[in-house]
Amino acid sequence: MTAQTITHDESPSARGGTVFDTGYRSYTGRREGRGRARRAIFKDGLRTALGFGRGGRAKVLPWLFIAVLSVIGLVFAIVAGAADRLGGPGTAERVNLPSHADYYGIASIIVFVFAAVVAPELLCPDRRNGTISLYLVRPLTGSDYVMSRWGAFLAVMLAALWLPQVILFFGLSAGDPAPVEYLRKHWLDIPRFLAAGAAMAAYATTLAMLVASFTTRRAYASVFLVGLFIITTPFTVGVADEIGGTAGQWISMFNLTNVPVHVNDVIFGDVSEVTEEAPARALGPAVLVAWYFVCTLVPAGLLWWRYRRLTP
Amino acid sequence: MSPVYRLALRQLSSRWRLTIMAVLAAMPVIIAVLMLRSKEAPTVDEFESAILSAMLAGSIAPLVVLAIAAAAFANEVEDRTLANLTLAPIARWKIAVPKLLATITIAAPFIALSAFATSYVAFLGDSTATAAVTVSALVGVALYASAFVWLGLVSTQAIGIGLLYIVLWEGFFSGFVSGVRLLSIRHYAIAVMHGLDERRFAVHDHVSLAVAVTLSALVFAGFVVLSIRRLRRMDVP
Amino acid sequence: MSDSMNGTSQPVIRVDGVSRWFGSVVAVSDVTFDVSPGITGLLGPNGAGKTTLLRMMTGLAATSSGTVTVFGQPVRDNPPLYRRLGVMSEHETVYGFMKGREFVRMMGHLRGVEDLENAVDRAIALVDLAEVQHRPMDTYSRGMRQRMRLAATLVHDPEILILDEPLNGADPRQRVHFTRLLRQLAAAGRTIVLSSHILEEVEQLADTVLLIVNGKLAASGGFRAIRAALNERPYHVRVVCDSPRQLAAAVVELDSVDAVHVDPDGAIVILSRNVLALQIELPRLAQSASIRLRRVEPLDDSLESVFGYLVEQ
Repeated sequence: MTAQTITHDESPSARGGTVFDTGYRSYTGRREGRGRARRAIFKDGLRTALGFGRGGRAKVLPWLFIAVLSVIGLVFAIVAGAADRLGGPGTAERVNLPSHADYYGIASIIVFVFAAVVAPELLCPDRRNGTISLYLVRPLTGSDYVMSRWGAFLAVMLAALWLPQVILFFGLSAGDPAPVEYLRKHWLDIPRFLAAGAAMAAYATTLAMLVASFTTRRAYASVFLVGLFIITTPFTVGVADEIGGTAGQWISMFNLTNVPVHVNDVIFGDVSEVTEEAPARALGPAVLVAWYFVCTLVPAGLLWWRYRRLTP
Repeated sequence: MSPVYRLALRQLSSRWRLTIMAVLAAMPVIIAVLMLRSKEAPTVDEFESAILSAMLAGSIAPLVVLAIAAAAFANEVEDRTLANLTLAPIARWKIAVPKLLATITIAAPFIALSAFATSYVAFLGDSTATAAVTVSALVGVALYASAFVWLGLVSTQAIGIGLLYIVLWEGFFSGFVSGVRLLSIRHYAIAVMHGLDERRFAVHDHVSLAVAVTLSALVFAGFVVLSIRRLRRMDVP
Repeated sequence: MSDSMNGTSQPVIRVDGVSRWFGSVVAVSDVTFDVSPGITGLLGPNGAGKTTLLRMMTGLAATSSGTVTVFGQPVRDNPPLYRRLGVMSEHETVYGFMKGREFVRMMGHLRGVEDLENAVDRAIALVDLAEVQHRPMDTYSRGMRQRMRLAATLVHDPEILILDEPLNGADPRQRVHFTRLLRQLAAAGRTIVLSSHILEEVEQLADTVLLIVNGKLAASGGFRAIRAALNERPYHVRVVCDSPRQLAAAVVELDSVDAVHVDPDGAIVILSRNVLALQIELPRLAQSASIRLRRVEPLDDSLESVFGYLVEQ
């Protein structure tokens, strides 16, 4: 402990102000622009969604969802491998065990709950705590902000949805006695599941974020989203069955959980268990795909528009 | 009337929330009406599993209760107003129990009415069946409320965990794995329903009424005790 | 009312070997002190552990080790004690939908106040918010919310008040009012502990200061006494006079003086460990050398300098 001399050599009234050079330096480096800001928000969105930098507890939910989704893919692979081993190669296909085409149908509800729980984390706290103003005073528009956040969550969803399919593919090809042969025969599955996964990811992300943009409490957004998905399903099924005919088919289109699964069906040229009985199938692939785009692009536009108007 | 109870009632009954609860609760009724009018009326089994078990007890009731129960404590913890209550010279149960009762007070009418209307329509006014469904719905509400109020105290991620529980545990696993049914609130409620009206619902091999009621009481009391304990031991923000 | 002995009675609050850690982060480290009636100020930089310490003193948070006793009883898990304790946290959130009066009334009711309506009237009058008490609190300004929260803290007339950054965002008028109010309350025998990172507040209000730095208790007592205890550091006394260098040359010969600086503006700064002696010798010296002293002021007889010393270590 050395003695220190305090140089209180100015009484406030005596002289004008002086600034001491106590080490403050203004920034003289390069100032990057909007792109950099957008990338930063994207990166931050990734970290928030996956719970990085916020302790162990924040990581539980997102990684649990990813684990559950991956395990389902793994289970499919194992079961198919076992069937092939028992009944000879090709058994799994013959017996129609769940495979790439069925995955998204089966995993759909989990995907939607994932989006419902995690997506609001990216939008709601910033508006609730007022930190969104801090973003908006930077060279960044409101729509930049929301699109970067959307991109971040989409990236997480894509990873979560593609990983299980990749696992499944590896499992199936490794389990096959002639893996190279399997690859040659089934390589088309890869672009198919990538596309179907992307469709589901985009849909879930956009819808979840749109709902989250309407409230500042994450809890309400999550419950509303899950409620929306869980409730519209039996409701539209019931009403569609009751009314029947073309009207029933159109009503069945409002079964929100099925929208991306129909696209999955179209891509694989197959029918998933969950959509087997949906009257909407009768409307044909063109209508179903077009409806998917409506259900994704309109919410996306709404989301963009809502944030565009925000000012700091 | 306890000030905590009155406070909780006010906190939980915002107009938006009540409207959405009403909409959710109306769904099963509408479906029941539709199902009845359709050409092939479903059997009791189908109706029970699709509407009563899956929809009402398995998703709508827990969702409604979750949304309300979360507001009971989780919001207070998030807003840091819980200290207003814990810094009072009152026993901790006088904080936990009124909050729980307020949650039940708000959620129960919606769910009970929904259950009543649904079963009245579906079972063509059979009073025993209607009473059984309504009572079991109330049992479900009480159990879910006790569990989610505790969850709101224990975790900041209460909603996420609650939703996972509803979708994965109640919605998924308990349908497949019979052992899990012993730990599923939905199945307690259904078991009570079976027990109360054995004539109509006696097809399944669920637990008897006495066991169901006992288990329900134990679970309810258990969560209440856990909530009180948590209030005493937690760091209040 | 100063940090005098309070005779044979127990201290009102006793904090004994209290530590608190969160994982590997130590927020409060082995802090021990007693609090007696009067105003005690908990002072320290942001992040020093003041809030954590206060929360442990109110029983809102558990200690990782050590005990906190109030009136001889442990404060944790002891609800009846809250009858005598009033706490105002640093968080400003209130139940927005409630009217101010309703909030104070509810808090009074919860704390078992008899004659509730009069107590509420009194509390609201104390904070001077009678005109707005029937408006919902989300229409209040920040300062009004703080004051209403203070009313809610006072409604049950507690013997102990624990206030975390109570003047956060208060305007000068409120500050004056608040200072007066606290002094009144303390004069009636209450024990008040308030925390702040603003030196002037604590300097004006507190009889006893507890200085918390990095989770440790760096100093306690009246701030002058603390200053005196730091006796390896000399006091700085600034003197403005007619002939600075001549005075400086004379002053440096005194025993009580360690060193003298001469400022470019003509004032001299004397470093001395024995200000008492200096006080007597300086005027004598000036008189015998016929130097006129225009100004003599101690430069670090303030909490700020004490603070500065201790925080820098």
